[in-house]
This record gives sequence, C-alpha cells and structure tokens, in this order.
Amino acid sequence: MASQTKSRIIEKNKLTELLDKLAQDYHLIAPVQGNNVSFRRVESGSEVTLDYINTVLSSKGAFLPQTETLFRFFRDDSRGFRIETVNDADREQVVFGIRACDARSLRLMDMVFDGQYKDSCYLNRREKTTLIGLACFDHAETCFCPTFGIDPTSGEDVDILFSDIGDRYLVEASTEKGADLLNRFSEFFTELRGDEEQLREARKAGLEGMKKLDVSNIADKMAPLYGSDYWDSIGMKCLGCGICTYVCPTCHCFDIADVSVDEGGERFRCWDSCMFPEFTLMASGENPRADRKARVQQRFFDKLKYFHDRYGELACVGCGRCIRYCPVNIDITQIIEDVTSGKAGNE
Amino acid sequence: MSENIYLPRMATIQSMRPETIDVTTFRVTIDGSDGAGKFEYKSGQFAEVSLLGVGEAPIAISSSPTRPEAIEFSIRRVGELTTGLHELEPMDEIGIRGPFGNFFPLEEMEGQNLLIVGGGIGLSPLRSVIFNVLDNRGKYGKIDIIYGARSPQDLTFTSEYKEWQEVDNVRLHLTVDRGDEEWKGNVGLVPTFLKEINPSPENTTSITCGPPIMIKFVIEALRELGFSSEHIITTLERRMKCGVGKCGRCNIGSKHVCLDGPVFTLKQLEEIPSD
Repeated sequence: MASQTKSRIIEKNKLTELLDKLAQDYHLIAPVQGNNVSFRRVESGSEVTLDYINTVLSSKGAFLPQTETLFRFFRDDSRGFRIETVNDADREQVVFGIRACDARSLRLMDMVFDGQYKDSCYLNRREKTTLIGLACFDHAETCFCPTFGIDPTSGEDVDILFSDIGDRYLVEASTEKGADLLNRFSEFFTELRGDEEQLREARKAGLEGMKKLDVSNIADKMAPLYGSDYWDSIGMKCLGCGICTYVCPTCHCFDIADVSVDEGGERFRCWDSCMFPEFTLMASGENPRADRKARVQQRFFDKLKYFHDRYGELACVGCGRCIRYCPVNIDITQIIEDVTSGKAGNE
Repeated sequence: MSENIYLPRMATIQSMRPETIDVTTFRVTIDGSDGAGKFEYKSGQFAEVSLLGVGEAPIAISSSPTRPEAIEFSIRRVGELTTGLHELEPMDEIGIRGPFGNFFPLEEMEGQNLLIVGGGIGLSPLRSVIFNVLDNRGKYGKIDIIYGARSPQDLTFTSEYKEWQEVDNVRLHLTVDRGDEEWKGNVGLVPTFLKEINPSPENTTSITCGPPIMIKFVIEALRELGFSSEHIITTLERRMKCGVGKCGRCNIGSKHVCLDGPVFTLKQLEEIPSD
C-alpha cells in the first residue's frame, strides 16, 4: 500500500479529462460557475471552475441535500399505507474541490448524524463519497480558519488533496479510499519532478495576514453571557433572513414535512434555520425562542458553547461565509473578540 | 446499511375514547403484533406520531408499559396534525417512531411517597406513571395525585378516577379554575391548591406536568413546601421534529429535550439556561 499512497502530480492540461472520467464513473460534485460558484452535480470536466476562493454554499448539500425524500407512501385498498424507501444514498460519489474548512465541517456534522441514533441517509453518503480537496493559497478578508486549528493547505479531512503549484497539481492521497481512486486513474498521474515541495512553500505567501483569533476557553467565557444585553444589540440588527445558517457548512438543522396527493405522497426533510420564529413554535402557541434576541443568542451559543459541550468541538470552521453574506454585517469574528475581550459582558 | 431512523412503524387504531371536547385517547396496536409488540417503552417517554400526508409530531405516551396489550396516546386537537388524527376512525392506520427520550426514574423512587401534580393535557404522561405505580403498588408509599383543569369539562381520564382511588393509600385531589352548578370540588389554580393540601416533602418525590406557566408556579410552591430540587421532576414540551438529536430545534442550552429529556429534575434545569 505504501507505494500506492505516495505523492503524484497531474499536469494542469489533463485535469478536465480526469474530471470527465470521474463524472462517468461517479456522481461527481464540483464547483460550478453560475450566478456564483457553488457545488453542483456535473456531467463533464468542462463545467467545473477552479476560479474561486470559496464557494457560496459549502459542499454540505452533497451529504444533507437542501431537500431530500425520506420515504414515499401509498394508500392501499384497505385503510392503511404501503411505505417505500428511497435509496439514492447508495451511489458512489466524488466531491472535487472542497476547501479545508468545509472538509472539517463534515467531521463536525458526522458527530451529529452518527451516535446513538444513526442517520443512515447522511452516513451512507459520507461512506460512499471520496473527498478531493483543493489547497488554499489565497484567502478572503473574511477567512479565519486557522482560529480553529485548520491549515488551509492541508489534506487532513479529505481523501485526496490537490495543490495548485503553477503548471501542475501536487496530488496526495491521505486515506486508503483516496489511494484506491488514484490507482484507478493512474494513467493521469506522473512521478514528482522534485521541486513540488519548494513550489508549494512559495505559494503559501498568499496566506499571510490571515485572521487567527484566540478561542481558547471560549465556551467557558460564553456561559455567563446567557441573557446578556449584548444579544439584544445583535438581535436588533438581525433581519432574521437565515442566510447565515444556509451558507454555514456546520449548520445542520432540518425540518421534516409531508407532501400528499390523493393516492400517496412522500415525507421529506429540508434545511431549516434557528433564525426563523416557526423553528421552535409549538402547536399550542408556546414558543421558547420567540424573539430575535433569543434566536441570535441561540445561534452563537450553539456555535461557541453548546456544540462544544455536546461534542467537544466548536461548531465553526472559520469559512467566513456568514460574515460575507449577512445583509447587516453581523460578524462572528467580532462577536468572538467581544466575548474573549470581555466587552460583550459590559454593554 | 443501517435502518432508516425516520421510517415509522405502522400501527392500527383499536379505539378512540373522547376524554374532553378536544382530547381523545387513541388506543393502538403495532401492526403485525398483538399489542405494543417490540415497542418497548418506559413511563415518561414519547413517540413521533404520524398521519402520513399530514405530518408527524412528538406525543407523550399515556399508557403504562405494565399493560402491554396496547399503546395509548391522549391527544389534544390543537394543530393541523392533531386535527387530522381526531378525524380518523378505529382501524385506520397511523405511523409511530420511538419510543424516544428518557423516562421518569420510577426505580429510584421505589420506597418513596409520590406526589403527582398535573394540569390539563399534562396529565397524559403522568397517567403512564399512575398506572405503572398502581400495577407495582407494593413498591411505593403514599401516592397523592393533584390534578386541575380549566373547567370540570376539561378534566381528562375521568372514567378512571374510581379505579385509581380504590387502591390503598392513593388520594386524588381535583380542582378546576372555574366551576359550574354541578361541580362540588375545589375551585382554584393548581399551585394554590397544592399549597393548601400542603404535602410533606419527607421521603417524597414530586412529578409535575402541565402548561409551562403552571409548571413554573408548581415548582415555586414545591420549593416553599420544602421539596429539594433533586426531588422535583418535570417533563418538558418542545417542538421535536426528528426525536433523535439531529434536527436541532429542541435544545435548552446544550441539552436536547428529545435525547436528554423530556424528563428533568429541577436540579438539572437549574444548571442549564432557562429558554
């Protein structure tokens, strides 16, 4: 196995052809330029763009689709139902071009969907998917993944890492699954020329000045801020549009609902957001998080404390999407700084 | 691959017993079994009850596992799903997922007196406890049940009170917010009535369920009566879509009501934020 996992290179002009082959053999999901760059299913390599710092939506939809049928049902002759399961989670999938932040977010989502009750829809997709990462050598102003111990040039949470080093990509498999895929398409890959490591190091200059905040003990520092006026000030700004949760790679909340026609229908789940008042509204009319203050407080407490209490990790990967797309400039890095500096408690 | 945790088991309605104008007890058996089947639950747990095509909601189990001939849900008609359920008839099929959540620590409470305090439809999960302890009568001391509703017509499970009260050392104390010409019992709110009855906290655990505002004042009353926060147990209601800790909406602090609850001691609740 050792010889199979060693690093290779692929010439840039061969990449489209490789992606064509991947699209033939797998359900290939890759960044596509539309109104913005987002992960989509592609049929050929020419559809794929590599011109992005990060995609607008993360790749979470490849594992937790925006809407997903859980099962279908049909009314039978008597007064009962016949249920049919759906098995599209069983196809082999490749996600190409995922950044280190999004790859880490999958590891966090795994903690939610695994456990005592296993969410087979999500977990099957994870198991059937090979992740091909694309190292970052540039960053947006909003990027702050090093805050969470993420090296944006590393392949820690992917199966294969591609690093753009100029005229070629350095290709490194870090799992058996990744090595198997490289072997299967070995005709595309060639031996190292020897200067790859040097080229990669040189490119890291583009990451200088990236934001790295101190989040040590932040969960403890959040605890006394529950109910603080600080959240009023954030809640006043918030429009409750929910974009932060939709673009967030670690937000995993969903709704379950039915659609029905005369003879049957389906139960599906779809992304939902803790920013919406209906999220927690009960049929009785009771709503434990009835105001915006309670909802923004919930979101930041979940990211910076509750998830940590449950799973031992903070539920943020520093991708910066929520900062970039928030219409009223609510900035999680500012909130982290206010919490760690003690400013949040003194408002 | 593992089983789809969102797939309900189908169950057939054997009977529907109206309790009040808007509460009905559904007695169901799991299809392919002659009763609760492999649906093994404990008092205090809930299930996700489905009407396919309408939806699914978390509903407390109101029957006791000591009576495995059927599973019962006592459901108030309040939203879209519960209205749909009320329109069903015996022999119709519903879906059930579960049982989910934790349960009342009845084993730990053996040898103690029980104080059961309910309001309105909140008596439903407590009824599971009542039948459970009545079927294990020797294991518990004195049992006091304090129950109230808005009016005499809103009292649930009235046809069972006789059976409960016939058991040795079980006392049922009823109250209503507003009486009528025929009502001879107490008129007043549950927390006030509780203080009037003045139960001793000695070797006693209290379990309470009802509307949130009632629970709040019952807890205050219990504290005044000298109950410690370890011996005040309640069960909470939240919107719980998945029932299994994934969908993210039922948390109170870092606790998921669907996994870590719905049953909590006051001591546990004091340690988490009060959403």
